[in-house]
Amino acid sequence: MSRQRSSVWVIAEQINGQVLGVSLELIGQARKIADDLGVPVEAVLLGNEIGDQAEMLLFSGADVVYLGDSPDFEVYQPEIYTERIVSLSKDVQPQIMLIGSTYVGRELAPLIAAKLETGLTAHCIDLVISGEGILEQKIPAYGGIMSIICPDKRPQMATVTQGVFPMPRLDEDRSGKIVPVEPPEGVKVRVETLDVVLKEPVGVLLESAPIVVAGGSGAGSIEGWKEIEALAEVLNAALGSTRPAVDEGWADLETMIGQSGKMVSPELYIGVGLSGELQHMVGIVGAKVMIAINNDAKAPVFEQVDFGVVEDCRVFVPAFVKALKNNEACAGRATHVT
Amino acid sequence: MLSIVVCVKAVPDPKEADKIRIDPVTKSLTRLDLPLVINSLDQNALEAALQFKERFGAHITVFSMGPPSAGNVMKECLALGADVGILLSDPAFAGADALATAFTLAQAIEKLDEVDVVLCGRASSDGATEWVGPELAIFLEMPVVSMVSEFVETEGPCWQVKSDIENGYRLMQVELPAVFTVTQDVNTPRTLSFSGIIKARKKEITTWGLVDLGESAQSVGLKGSPTIVSDLTYIESKRACQIIEGTLEEKADILVAKLVEAGFI
Amino acid sequence: MIDFTFTEEQELFQKAAREHAETQIAPHVSVMEETGRNWEPVIKAICEAEMMAITIPEEYGGLGLGYVERLLALEEIGRISVATAMMMQVGGLGIEPIIKFATDEQKKKYLPGLASGEHFATVAVTEPTGGSDPRGCRTTYKKQNGSYILNGRKCFITNSHIADTQVVLAVDDDNPEAFSTFIVESGMEGFKPTHIEHKVGMRGCNTGEIELKNCKVPAENLLGGEGKGMRVSMASISDVGRGGMVGCAMGLQKACLDASVKFANERILYGKPISRLQAIQFKLADMKIDLDAGRLLGYRAASIQDKGERSGNEFAVAKYYTTEAAQRAAKMAVDIHGGYGCMEEYAVTRYLRDSYVLGPSAGTSDIMKVIVSRWVLS
Repeated sequence: MSRQRSSVWVIAEQINGQVLGVSLELIGQARKIADDLGVPVEAVLLGNEIGDQAEMLLFSGADVVYLGDSPDFEVYQPEIYTERIVSLSKDVQPQIMLIGSTYVGRELAPLIAAKLETGLTAHCIDLVISGEGILEQKIPAYGGIMSIICPDKRPQMATVTQGVFPMPRLDEDRSGKIVPVEPPEGVKVRVETLDVVLKEPVGVLLESAPIVVAGGSGAGSIEGWKEIEALAEVLNAALGSTRPAVDEGWADLETMIGQSGKMVSPELYIGVGLSGELQHMVGIVGAKVMIAINNDAKAPVFEQVDFGVVEDCRVFVPAFVKALKNNEACAGRATHVT
Repeated sequence: MLSIVVCVKAVPDPKEADKIRIDPVTKSLTRLDLPLVINSLDQNALEAALQFKERFGAHITVFSMGPPSAGNVMKECLALGADVGILLSDPAFAGADALATAFTLAQAIEKLDEVDVVLCGRASSDGATEWVGPELAIFLEMPVVSMVSEFVETEGPCWQVKSDIENGYRLMQVELPAVFTVTQDVNTPRTLSFSGIIKARKKEITTWGLVDLGESAQSVGLKGSPTIVSDLTYIESKRACQIIEGTLEEKADILVAKLVEAGFI
Repeated sequence: MIDFTFTEEQELFQKAAREHAETQIAPHVSVMEETGRNWEPVIKAICEAEMMAITIPEEYGGLGLGYVERLLALEEIGRISVATAMMMQVGGLGIEPIIKFATDEQKKKYLPGLASGEHFATVAVTEPTGGSDPRGCRTTYKKQNGSYILNGRKCFITNSHIADTQVVLAVDDDNPEAFSTFIVESGMEGFKPTHIEHKVGMRGCNTGEIELKNCKVPAENLLGGEGKGMRVSMASISDVGRGGMVGCAMGLQKACLDASVKFANERILYGKPISRLQAIQFKLADMKIDLDAGRLLGYRAASIQDKGERSGNEFAVAKYYTTEAAQRAAKMAVDIHGGYGCMEEYAVTRYLRDSYVLGPSAGTSDIMKVIVSRWVLS
């Protein structure tokens, strides 16, 4: 295939036989990019007994699905997955390869990129085709948006977190080709997944929560953080964090919202004691109402929200919680008496 | 006795790093004179190496690719207990993306006679791609496990480790030699000790440049980077922020009223 | 040209001390403040961090470093807890006469345990009848059957109840002009720590009284020779004692400045942080000028001491300056905090109380001026 006609790839990920939402979102965006370029969208899906999932990829916008359906692919095995995808890529020569920024994706993508000796961009918040037909990979940096390109090497690779791009509509009338691919042979396996242990996630899931409260370094201490937790509780909101709060040990990495964390799209977002760093703010996609509480009137967050309160959150949040509890609608839902 | 390599990055102190900004007029980065410290997750990697050294004996070599001023970070690694420090510093290495960085580190590591374990932090605080560990493994032709939050079994030539995933972990078995990238949960890094600093007086920090690696300038630094920055723009804000006024209690009440009005409560 | 920078290694020592202070000592400060006790965890922390070994020679198990390094460490500890820095500095003061004046046997007997932190030290000079005037000492010694019998009372002794070895100054029972110092071990018959003081500041720093009642001290524990007591005790107090107060004071100055900058940047009045107001800015400038000046004076004296030269006069200048400056800084910090500066949960209230105890320790400000005027007029 000549370079101009080569496809846009999405490496789809499955866990326990289910394709992840982020893979479908990437197919949606790949469709837009491929239409700009006038080339097909192709997905690669490796797993075991996942034929139905392959169809779903076609309905989401893929023209071709390279399907590896075998017990050898049931669970992510780094060397086997890498070898399968790299050799297929060398055959088919896609010009762009997109991978979901899951924990597995963040290991698999660089393994593929290094084997192909090509460029890979992390945590993109947008992907567009430039006038010259090159993929512009956008990431937030230093208070602005940086565009990264991979001008010479192919494929141009990028990872994207769930929630950055919208979920595409499933069109069951769409047809395409499913191309079976076999497990690679003669791969020297030196690292093996023995087991995958999952636990039930607790609390309101950030990614799907209608109300999100995010706390930052302004909490000041674990005591201040607990006040923010109380605010989330009284609003029945999911509690997110920024990197400084995770570094301080008040919040888990799993709750970090931002470029290298979770993307959220709540109806209401309240940022407490955080300055509004772009790396965090890009994690909030399409919120209806955004509110910020920060003691620094010049904090960048106040330019990115609808309502702001300039107060020390350590003092304001307890007062806010008190006012919320006094409000009847909230008090009825509160789990403890004021 | 194990031969362990720890890859460490010298980064601007994260507590001060938000002072680094693009100057709107000159379009170059300001405050590049901020002092450099050990990347926090690399401290976890070094701590893992030090614990292995205490448990079953090891020789620890620390590599870092950075400017000459990263020397103080190397000194600190030696003071914490590493045995040898090798700083990869050369103008040719500048501007490297993750691939070029991993390639350069790999060329340096390959000059050691024997390597059993390579440890890095999962990501750096100032680049945070998470790519260098896995790409390094490809260039070294070693298996890799990323996001290691626990070393479960470390007896013998096959190790078992936990690799974090969303809501859980993968239990991985890996043959040495291997590369591991670690998370902040894997251990609590030790603090500097006075006697460690004194012992470091006798330890060596060597600097290697492009010539020492025997590589061509085309494969390192900016020239060896498949990705480049093509543009930097500022984003316009689309929200007109209304600052709520009044006493503390008044502001709280107004905010509650706005939430009620919008139908959130 | 004078080089005012620290070496790379000294900066690492400073970083090590800072990390230990922030992780091992800071968690205990509030309990020490509330109870006036709870010094055990912080003493353990500084011993485990090898802080007491800094100036002990390597051949006796120490780190063989200098007094600049000692000052760097004290400054970092003092920034987090002046009470802890005080115990550490007086511990060093109890070690110094042994380094300077002990016989080789005495050094071999006592220094390794002090270096490892297994044992703690202090110096006991002050009595109700004289501290500024050490010749007011009424504790007596009398030679008897190859031992010395000591009788008397010492007060305001830091580490009174935790020290294993105390360098005690006493006067010859038969000759009021002859003073001698003795290494008294806390387990010796007739030695007893008695009353623990409740101080206005440096709470959690162990200060108390010791009683010697026919305390039998073996002859080999005479330190520095009979009649040499004034020289032994004053020599150590003049550099190590004063130098230690400089470390405590500089740490406190830095703490006051850091707290004030943080508060001033966060406190919003008239719609902006008070750090924009010139009155506040001038106080911060005063604190900074005092801090820089104090540090230069302190490290100058310590550098001279490291060269092996006499540094008591330079330390008198530095001790006077930094302890007075710390008191000014604490007052300014409280003023900047406004009403919050009177609330216990704000650290500046502790800084204010701690600053008052800096002055009279290791020689009052007036005594420092006596020393400096003697220096000028000599």
